[in-house]
Amino acid sequence: MSYKQLDSPITAKLCNLLVEAEYGDLASRVFSILARHGRQTLAGIVRASYFNGRQIKLGLVVLVQQHLVFYSSTDQRVTYYEINWHQAYALVRIGKVLTLAENRFGKKASNLLSNLITLGHARIADLKEAYFPSSAEKSAADDHSDDDDDDDDAADDNPDDSRVNGVNSSNGKISDVQLNGTRGVERRKSSSSPPEDAKPILNLDNDLEASYLNGYPPTNASTTESKVPQANGAVDPTNSANDDEPENDWVQSTEELYATIYHLMRQGWIIKVDQMQYLSAGDLDAMARKEITAEEFPNRPLTGPKDKTRLEIATVQRKRRYREQWLQVPYFESQSDKRKAAGVNEKASKRLKINGTYVSRSESAHSVNSTNGTAYPEDDLVIRLNHEKVAVAMRTEQLTRLVQHRLGFSTAQVYRTLLGILEVNLARCYEEWPDPVPPPQDGIDVQVEPHFLVTARDVAEKIDPAIDLLDGLDPKAIVKHVGNSKVVEDTRLDPPINPFQISRDEKTKIVDVHMQLLQSDPFRFVIWYSRAGYSQWRVDFEKIAKATIELEIENTITARKGPLGVKLIRALKKKGKLDERQACNTMMMSAHDIRGTINDMVVQGFVQTQEIPRVDRREAKLSIHLIWYDLQRAREKLLYDTYKGMVRIMQRLAFEKEQVASLLQKAERTDVVGNEAKYLTKRELDALRKWKDVENKLLLQLYRQDELVATLGDFLGPLVTI
Amino acid sequence: MATPSTTVKVEGSAQPAAPAESPAPLDQNRADQLYNKCAEAPEGTIFYQRDLSSMHVAETTSQLTQLLQELVDRHLMKLMISDNEPCWKLRSRDEADKLRQLSPEERILYHHIDQEQNKGIWSKALRAKTNLTAQALSKCLKSLEAKNLVQSVMSVKFPNRKMYLLKHLQPSEEVAGGPWQSEGDFDAALIDTISRVVESYMQKETCLNLPMDWNQYPTSDRTSAIARKKRIQNYPTALSVRNAIMSMGIIKDKNIAEQDMEQLLEMMVLDGKLEKVSGTNYRTCITSREVESYNGFVDAPCGNCPVFELCGDEGEISARTCVYFGEWLQTESEPVY
Ligand code: SF4
Repeated sequence: MSYKQLDSPITAKLCNLLVEAEYGDLASRVFSILARHGRQTLAGIVRASYFNGRQIKLGLVVLVQQHLVFYSSTDQRVTYYEINWHQAYALVRIGKVLTLAENRFGKKASNLLSNLITLGHARIADLKEAYFPSSAEKSAADDHSDDDDDDDDAADDNPDDSRVNGVNSSNGKISDVQLNGTRGVERRKSSSSPPEDAKPILNLDNDLEASYLNGYPPTNASTTESKVPQANGAVDPTNSANDDEPENDWVQSTEELYATIYHLMRQGWIIKVDQMQYLSAGDLDAMARKEITAEEFPNRPLTGPKDKTRLEIATVQRKRRYREQWLQVPYFESQSDKRKAAGVNEKASKRLKINGTYVSRSESAHSVNSTNGTAYPEDDLVIRLNHEKVAVAMRTEQLTRLVQHRLGFSTAQVYRTLLGILEVNLARCYEEWPDPVPPPQDGIDVQVEPHFLVTARDVAEKIDPAIDLLDGLDPKAIVKHVGNSKVVEDTRLDPPINPFQISRDEKTKIVDVHMQLLQSDPFRFVIWYSRAGYSQWRVDFEKIAKATIELEIENTITARKGPLGVKLIRALKKKGKLDERQACNTMMMSAHDIRGTINDMVVQGFVQTQEIPRVDRREAKLSIHLIWYDLQRAREKLLYDTYKGMVRIMQRLAFEKEQVASLLQKAERTDVVGNEAKYLTKRELDALRKWKDVENKLLLQLYRQDELVATLGDFLGPLVTI
Repeated sequence: MATPSTTVKVEGSAQPAAPAESPAPLDQNRADQLYNKCAEAPEGTIFYQRDLSSMHVAETTSQLTQLLQELVDRHLMKLMISDNEPCWKLRSRDEADKLRQLSPEERILYHHIDQEQNKGIWSKALRAKTNLTAQALSKCLKSLEAKNLVQSVMSVKFPNRKMYLLKHLQPSEEVAGGPWQSEGDFDAALIDTISRVVESYMQKETCLNLPMDWNQYPTSDRTSAIARKKRIQNYPTALSVRNAIMSMGIIKDKNIAEQDMEQLLEMMVLDGKLEKVSGTNYRTCITSREVESYNGFVDAPCGNCPVFELCGDEGEISARTCVYFGEWLQTESEPVY
């Protein structure tokens, strides 16, 4: 993963800040030791720090529970710890994850994920216990009357609301959706100091593995302590009474809980926890290699390149197999009962309202007596969030935005629908472990697996009926397919067509027109495959990802250097290495006009130079000077700079917060919360508002920079350069 | 749209194009249908698979491959490679007829001459490439000239060389000459003027300005009811733009050849004023940037910071003391003493 440079000093700094914000001082100190010293044993960490072994263990337990460190005990006596950079970086995305999940699966699912993220990973039984403590008598089913409004709530509420609910319901909606992550972050930080969380799994002297296997011990006092208030907060009738909107963001019954988990697993958002996930990339590779060597080459050393290739191929295959196992959804007894009972159509709707509200209602009706539900074998399953899937969802959103920018709203919605259909079948954005030699693709005749194809009809059926599909199209193209209208004055439809009353077939044809737009765009958002379902399409994600990387680099250059810089980059991209004269010819400009730009771009690291001597003596005058553009290098440079930008934003945020620290303390006092106007002076109120603005502005850019990081690093593997 | 129908297989000159599938019986009409659809596009259009497939003639990709192979065999289409992708260009039926009557040697020569386009190819080079005897070569070339397929010109650079190129092409003006330059340098004023004209011409050709009430169905709230540009699926080529510009009579004393226009259009693509739809077709970029927003990095102070490389976690240049952040957030930074 070196091209993502996640182990550079800058990212170490960034991840450290994130860990600190999320899990407090102790965990972040241990993290930073590991970041500075690399792979270490417990003793090694202790030696490098001012802490004693006990404290270090406390920190480590948090990091392990959150998958922020890898550990390996290949050697029976010592365990090595190593940072899991991806997981650490992903902390910045928590808010994003919840928003994405909410848009796809509704609020209950995003709440569930939010809890799962807080816990790091959890045994299903413990989640159940946290939601529905066996001691609590109140039946969740009481609140069920409101179920039907579920949909509307989910659409315009903050995904975090329910968690924040108990605490600052009066605060209203100060922040937009983007900010959820941090609000969550702050809350968690204050509510769970590491040592408390850590207690249950402190037997790591003997065996750290136990910590992961146990997941979250059900009997632990602090667990219930930290979780129950949340659970109660939402279920508590008094609380929901305060709110005008019905309180339905919280999973209402154990059946619903199982159903939600099951659904999220089938969608690939939740995966099983496996011991192997604690192995670093290097350790995992070594393990696969060892296995293969033992199986395929027993009692003989590897000889020659042929054996080596075989080993390489078998190793990546093995690694892929491990990974696929994590994704497999085990048999859920709770779900098989349920499906029999209600015949739920799993794939029917994208939002799915968590298996249909009716289902859970009828279910809960006859199982109300057992508050904590029946125990099922799947209770012992330990689960966690799947970050790879998050990247897939982020990609969908980004591409939709890009299409909207280029082709307009309705075409973007068509594309979003298409990507949504594909999403279920995409476990990740790109294959991290491809076969060493990719299979040759001959000509235009590509064979694509059916589940990577979408037809115009699929989209027409699935797309939100409230979208005006005629919008954004050439009227002449519309009248070809819909109704009996004609086009007058080249622009007006006569008579007008009601876009919401077109037949299914017409709709399919109109979707096809949008597809044509998507296809003819230089980004080639879709590629035609066959005439099945009126027209059938595939998406070449790799090419698009590359094009979006190029776009972001161009955006950066435009902002810094204006159009001329971009023109130069494009010329180089098209023509390869150029000397000055050739560059002039391509850009149709005189050397005098482009020289300055070339120099600036070289300094900024976007353009590379090369000197080829023409004579024996190396004299600048007698050499050919070539400039060229290397996408991978430019990408790495921008990625690295963006990480740095994120660090600066977080540092500035900390600085700004320092400035208002005492004011914030006052504002957060319990007697002040809700009565700000009474206890705070006007100046204080102004300062508070100002701080909120500053915070929002900084966080917004932080999240947008994370989007950029995703575009640059998460959607496409390293590019092979010339 | 044609409904799939099974009919006779066409004559057997075609090698099986899609080895993966057994050659399904093809309809000659369908190949012609494809040809006719292509002929509707502006002259000189280059077609990629995606363009051809969206014409709704072929059922599947492999069938499309077969149809194309058939057209290529009948010389109605020319297979080319552009950007590592196969693409096709139409030949007129006339030209195709002529080509079909050529002898094998003549056809090879024609192919080589075609390759060089407006640069032309020296007869000696042709001989080296084809291994023909001098007599056979000159006989074939004569016959090609007689059939009005190729022409010969004397090279300006090497006055004793006879260069061959296709009949309908203009020989290139050697080296960096051409209409866009004056006195050895690019004529910025001319380029600027002409690209403006081209830009507005392309706007007219490829976009449509829709009024707010373009579809006045009865409804109360329409957030999207704003006048704006829509795409029309008509994408001019270098040749058609050239013809249009020349006929406007703006350029008087110079001749702009198709290649010159292509050079200009390509430059405009680099400028972001046009986008290339496929091989030779261009259209206007509609995505105008309404707001000054690029990406999260450059929209924040650090992305544009002149001291970015010098800025550290602490010290005189750092996020705490940063004047740019101070300006951007309207807050006080830590003073530096
Ligand atoms: S923090 Fe300020 S000085 Fe440092 S890089 Fe960013 S803008 Fe520049």
